[in-house]
Order: sequence, then C-alpha cells, then structure tokens
Amino acid sequence: MKKMLALLLTGATVFSLMACAAPAAPAATAPEEAVEEAPEEAAAEEAPAEESGETFVFKHGFDLDYPPYSFIGEDGQIGGFDVEVAQAVCDYYGWEYEAVPFNWDAKDAELNAGSCDCIWSGFTMNGREDDYLWSKPYSDNTQMIMVAKDSGIASLADLEGKIVGVQTATSAYDLLNDEEGQKQLADTFAKLEVYETYTIAFNDLKAGAIDAIAIDVTSGNFLMSGETDYEFLAEMLGSEQYGIGFRKDDQELCDKINAALDALAADGTIDKIGKNYPDIYDYLILK
Amino acid sequence: MLGTMAAGMLRTCGIFALTLLGSLPLGMVIALLRKSRFTVVRGIIRGYISIMRGTPLMLQLLVWYFGPFYLFGWSIRGWRFPALIIGFVLNYAAYFAEIYRGGIESMPVGQYEAAEVLGYSKTQTFMRIILPQVIKRIMPSVTNEVITLVKDTSLAFTLAYQEVFSLAKQISASQTSFMPFVIAGVFYFIANYVVAYAMELIEKKLDYYK
Repeated sequence: MKKMLALLLTGATVFSLMACAAPAAPAATAPEEAVEEAPEEAAAEEAPAEESGETFVFKHGFDLDYPPYSFIGEDGQIGGFDVEVAQAVCDYYGWEYEAVPFNWDAKDAELNAGSCDCIWSGFTMNGREDDYLWSKPYSDNTQMIMVAKDSGIASLADLEGKIVGVQTATSAYDLLNDEEGQKQLADTFAKLEVYETYTIAFNDLKAGAIDAIAIDVTSGNFLMSGETDYEFLAEMLGSEQYGIGFRKDDQELCDKINAALDALAADGTIDKIGKNYPDIYDYLILK
Repeated sequence: MLGTMAAGMLRTCGIFALTLLGSLPLGMVIALLRKSRFTVVRGIIRGYISIMRGTPLMLQLLVWYFGPFYLFGWSIRGWRFPALIIGFVLNYAAYFAEIYRGGIESMPVGQYEAAEVLGYSKTQTFMRIILPQVIKRIMPSVTNEVITLVKDTSLAFTLAYQEVFSLAKQISASQTSFMPFVIAGVFYFIANYVVAYAMELIEKKLDYYK
C-alpha cells in the first residue's frame, strides 16, 4: 500500500513539477489573503520557531461548520467561542494566532501532519480519552434528542420505529454506534440517517422526512434559536465534556494552554467571551 | 454574505482556470506519450491514467496534500493550495489525454499516407494536418469535461479550501439557512452557462469547412 502510494506520488510529482508548480506557487498567496485572519504563508518549509527567539505561531485547528464554537459569520469573519478563547490565549502569551480551518473528517490527518497544533472546536473528550493528549475540560455538553413539539414523542422509548438524524463524525453519532453507548437504542430506530451537517438534518426534520435528531445540546440550541416548534426530550441521551486535543507528544504546549486557561478564567476573560454566546454560557466549566 | 461568497467564487474560478491551464496541455503530452514507441513509457502512462480515473478525486486530493508528510515527513505548511491544483491538474489531464487519444485515433490512415506522399515529415503531418481536425472533433467532449470541472471544484472542500461551496456549507451552518446553497447553485449554473456559450463560440469558429 505504502509502496503504491510512493510510486503514485513520485511518478506524478515529476509531471506536476513540470506542469503546475510554476502557476500554482504565485497564486497560492492571493486567494488565501481573502480569508480574514487566516494568513497562510506560502513559504512551505518554515521551521517551527520554538526556541529561536521568533514569535511562536499557534496554529488553531478547527471546523468552520460548528457554530457556536467555531464558524464563519455573515461578514466572512471567523468567530465562535473556541476561536475567541484561542485568540485570547495567544494574546496572553504574545503568540501569533493562525487559523487553520479544516475538513472535520480529516482532523486527525491535519493534526498528525502538523498543519495545526491542536483540535479545538467543540471537541468531545469522552470516548476519545486515549487518542489525544487532552487539555482540561472547559465545557459540559449533553447529547439530546430534538423533536417537533407535536410529534408525540416523549421519551427515548418512543423513538422505536422512528427515523433519527445525526451528523457524521460527531459524538452523537459515535454514541449511537457504540455498543457501550446507545447502540441498543439506535437498533430500535427504523433508520439512523447520517448527514454531512446538522443544518440539512434540521431542514429534513422541518420537512417531516425524519422524526428526531440526535444532537449535543449547544448545537441543538443554536439550531432552534428563533424556532418555536421544536424541543428536546427531557430524557438525555448521554453526557460529555469538551476539551482541546493535542498530539500525544506535545505535553509542553498542553501544559501552557492549561495554565493560560486557568489565568484567563481567573481574570474573567473567559466569562466575558462566554457572555457573547448565550447558547453555551450555562454549560461552561471554566469561567 | 454575498461579499464573502463572492470571494469564494473568485477562488473557485482560480481553481478552474489553473486546472485548465495545466491539464489541457499536459493531457496532450500524455496522449502522445501513450502512443510512445517505448513499452515502458506506454506502461507507465497507462498505469497513471488508470489510477487517475480509477480512484475518487477526493481521495487523490487527500493523498497530494498529506502524502508529502506521511511519506517523507516534510512540513506541509502552505501546501494546501498547490496540492489542490496538482491534484486537479493531474486528474483532469488523464481524462483530457483519453479524449485527445480518441480524436487522434479517429483520423483515417489515408491522411497519414497522403501526407507522406506529399513529403510531410511526421511532425508536420501531426501539427498541420491531424491536430487541427482532432481539435474540431473533440470539442464536444472537451466541453463536457470542462463543465464537469466547474462542478468538481467543490471537492476542494476536502482540503478545507474556502471556495464557494465550502463557504456555502459553513455560512449555512452558522446562519441555519439554505440561502447560501441557493446562491452557490445560481453561481455554478451561470458559470456553466458561460462556459457552454464560450465553447459553442469556439466550435463555430472552428467550423471553417462549411
């Protein structure tokens, strides 16, 4: 497998170098500049500026599809609770902040390849304890079931024979597929419909194509803001906590971020940022 | 929202233009190498084409972006956009090469024989007699491929490049609205309308025997 990849890569690199290295390199900077606060430098082989006296560039890896933790606003600016706190941490240490929005499905590859220093994007620790080096948890979150108020579904047991939607690669999805989680419950569903984003799942719920959505409470609250016809079941699906995931050998950075989180919680910075996000404020642990 | 999406549209157009710029000529090189005298060259090109056509473009983009790190341990900072373009160019070059080959092989042997009798060299025969006719013949297939490319640019979301479709997805998530998708849809439709129109003009221009 590896050999085949290597062959494919080397063989094709020859072509690519002839064909497109030239046009691609100068163009790389121009479009990137348009993404505010994401000034990715085109200089590829830049050594990490750790003890060289240069400013450390903190590469914050996150998903732009995950409001209110990290998202892109109407004005094209990135925002979200996690983004603001990460920026505050950078201000605290005098680091340079670099936004690395990634495709959620490729998060591990991005982290291991070093294109980002951490996964910090409403990232559930539970069930992934051994996969990353974790910061301290900063937010509580619960997995819930969202239904239309007039659906007649009042408990988890009522979901038997119903169609339930969930977003791919989320902890709600993992929970429903975990033998020790809620797999048994999921087996009673007529179908578990897996979506690319919760927005589409929510539209399907509105359209009546599915009966319920399994979702974490903060994302769910965000979706339901401005809607009156939907509610969570009182019975919750599971509980979890959010943390920041680092590469396992990156203890130093993890310690630094933990220290900064404590300091920023103590001086009220996190509380202030949290107030901008009423959907999640009540669930924050560090504030 | 429109301003943000317009920036995404520009980036989509950038991928589109660079891919065509790279893959149209590269496809011709590959088509010619495919007919090379050397068995090894022919074998390599056949392998290349079958990999490019036989695996999803999305997967190829991931390999191009992450490959350098996982295979050689190189830093991939700033590599996102170049990897994207390399992935698109090499993939589309494979398809264009096969279109070119089809066009070249559709030329009757009689033309080569006639050219030889008239004292044309092999290069002259190809450049002055075969190629102009090939281009005319393959235009409809090329148009097809170019239109597919406009829509395939959305695969750039795999590498989190902020083109119009990634932005539509993200803004849709943060605004809980379908509007960004509608805007993206209209954009793709108009872009393809323009492409189809431009290709039609070119076809008419090439129609000089009528």
